[in-house]
Amino acid sequence: MTSPTTTTTDTRRPTATSLGFPVADRPSPLGELLGDPFAPDNPTGYEAALASDDRGEPFAAAEAVLDRAGLNAEYVPTGLGGRLDGVDNLVRRLRPVFRLDAGLGLGHGLTTLMAALNVWTAGDAAQRERVARLLLDGKRLSVAYHELEHGNDLTNNHLRADTAPHGFTLHGTKRVINNTDRAAGAVVFARTTPWAARATGRDHSLILLDDLAALPGDTFRRLPRLRTSGLAGCRLGGFEFDGCPVPGDALLGGLGEGASVALRSFQVSRCVTAGAGTALLEAALFGVHRFAGERVLYGRPVSALPHARSLLAGAFADLQVAGALARAAARALHLHPAAAGRYAATAKYLVPRLVEDALSDLAVLLGARSYLREGAYAFVGKHLRDIAGLSIGHAGGVSCQLTVLPDLPGLRLTGPPAGPALFDDSPTPPLDPAALRLRGSREDPLLTVLAHVLDAAQPHPGLAPLAPGLRAELDAVLAESAALPPAARGVAADHRALALTERYAWLLAAAACVGTATLAGPPGDTPDPRWLHAVLQRIGRRSGRLPEPRDTGPLDALFGELEHRVAAGLSLDIDPEPVARRPV
Amino acid sequence: MNTSESTARPADIDEVVDWLIERVAEYREIPAADVDPEVPLAELGLDSVYVLSLCGDVEDHYGLVVEPTVAWDHPTIDALAKHLHAELTGGAS
Repeated sequence: MTSPTTTTTDTRRPTATSLGFPVADRPSPLGELLGDPFAPDNPTGYEAALASDDRGEPFAAAEAVLDRAGLNAEYVPTGLGGRLDGVDNLVRRLRPVFRLDAGLGLGHGLTTLMAALNVWTAGDAAQRERVARLLLDGKRLSVAYHELEHGNDLTNNHLRADTAPHGFTLHGTKRVINNTDRAAGAVVFARTTPWAARATGRDHSLILLDDLAALPGDTFRRLPRLRTSGLAGCRLGGFEFDGCPVPGDALLGGLGEGASVALRSFQVSRCVTAGAGTALLEAALFGVHRFAGERVLYGRPVSALPHARSLLAGAFADLQVAGALARAAARALHLHPAAAGRYAATAKYLVPRLVEDALSDLAVLLGARSYLREGAYAFVGKHLRDIAGLSIGHAGGVSCQLTVLPDLPGLRLTGPPAGPALFDDSPTPPLDPAALRLRGSREDPLLTVLAHVLDAAQPHPGLAPLAPGLRAELDAVLAESAALPPAARGVAADHRALALTERYAWLLAAAACVGTATLAGPPGDTPDPRWLHAVLQRIGRRSGRLPEPRDTGPLDALFGELEHRVAAGLSLDIDPEPVARRPV
Repeated sequence: MNTSESTARPADIDEVVDWLIERVAEYREIPAADVDPEVPLAELGLDSVYVLSLCGDVEDHYGLVVEPTVAWDHPTIDALAKHLHAELTGGAS
């Protein structure tokens, strides 16, 4: 392994990686500010992150850095004075935070974004203005959907907002809500119709409380903290309302529009959570690769052992797949909003799972160190604890699968395929929440990319050996979905119906990889076909469709790319950027 | 909301009512005679997922892209038929 001779400001940095992925021309600003997480004297490094996590406290030193950088402005649309433009850009800017500590990312503020998205989606001018100001002042919002008794079953939420002469009166409890003890405001999902046995989509409304401190103390209470096994620095608590009066202008959107607004906001937050989740794997992969280079077993570094190399290359392939899917889903919010809800739910289901599985593999390589809560690599175990929370948080896997399932029977691959812009980092049109739909379009521009490439007379060299298997799987998923009766598409879906959403997710991931490999790349070029071969092999294996590949050539090429990126100080993401950390 | 290629334009509201009754009977696997067009869809046993299927069938049959909110806001077959008919014929609902 060679030491990089370039610095983060050196203009001689390569413009593409060895397999032909374009490199961002500058590091992420937050990455620069947080510094090399392995540096032992870094107050915002892994050692300090682990210490806060062990104490179950927010990571104060890093939160101060994020405050000084005005991170909240990333959550405010540019039209309201913030920096939120493309959702994929937001993910890229947040990655350094999540590489360091997912609890920091969520606790500082990602949940503030989840609340604010409802305001950007449905708020009137005055509400948007007030919430933008609150965020730009560095304050937090809690997002209060969850009731312990009802999980992801939002339509059965009980907290009530009864109409009153002054507006509404709130009654009920929300629990497992982030930052309840330090948020300035909250967005609360509340029932605004009398309770009835049959839920409808118009039973709930969103209430914006932009000054919790002003609520009368005898009717409003912040509930004690709930401790968690992962995301230990997050301050999860609850709110209790007992006849709490709120004004009429606290209503966000129209009466009864709570579900339709929330279901649009979720599409954005699912993409952000999935994208941020890839950063945990990116960080752990770098760390375990570093460990494998240092650690000598049987007279040679662990990284020279074939098993270790294939494990690292496999985790790198997982990261590529997760990153390609998360990026396409985020960009689809702008480019294909009619299908974006399906992509967002698919990404939120599959990406955290890929990350968790890959982290478990990496923990094997760390051996006993993955179990230690101290030392340079303890953060890998922490990431593994945290990804579970990120995976459940806000929409569990099955809930995302149930979002996708009703769309599958009517899918049509007859429309135009997505273009290169879904797979690169070119500027996107502004996000229009009104264009997002509660029911995904029949057309599927992303999956159509896969269908077209499979049908091409001259198959892409990275695809050739795997094309028949993918074609058969695509046809089977479409045919089996079309045969699903309406009664089998909802909560009563059996495991075979749910498995279709998983198979669809793997096909969509393959489509995102195919799009990345055939449409995106440095000007006039596309990535090395071995990349596509390796990631499609990986998808085949991870999905249980293919056995372990015999030809290790493609995975070896990925390992070469991994080594090259580490040595050149580049991140391991689908869209590499310079990073502050250095190999040993 | 927009219309696409395969538009089947209904002659009158009753035709839409009949078509919706057939869909609901098919989903619930009950005789069409048992489907009351004045009863809320939820009471006919159509939860949110059936409503999504219904929206898909409306799109396929009438070429009209509809969101499930349409069924939330027009919760009976009669009300929904009136709304869809107006959308399809350019009238107000």
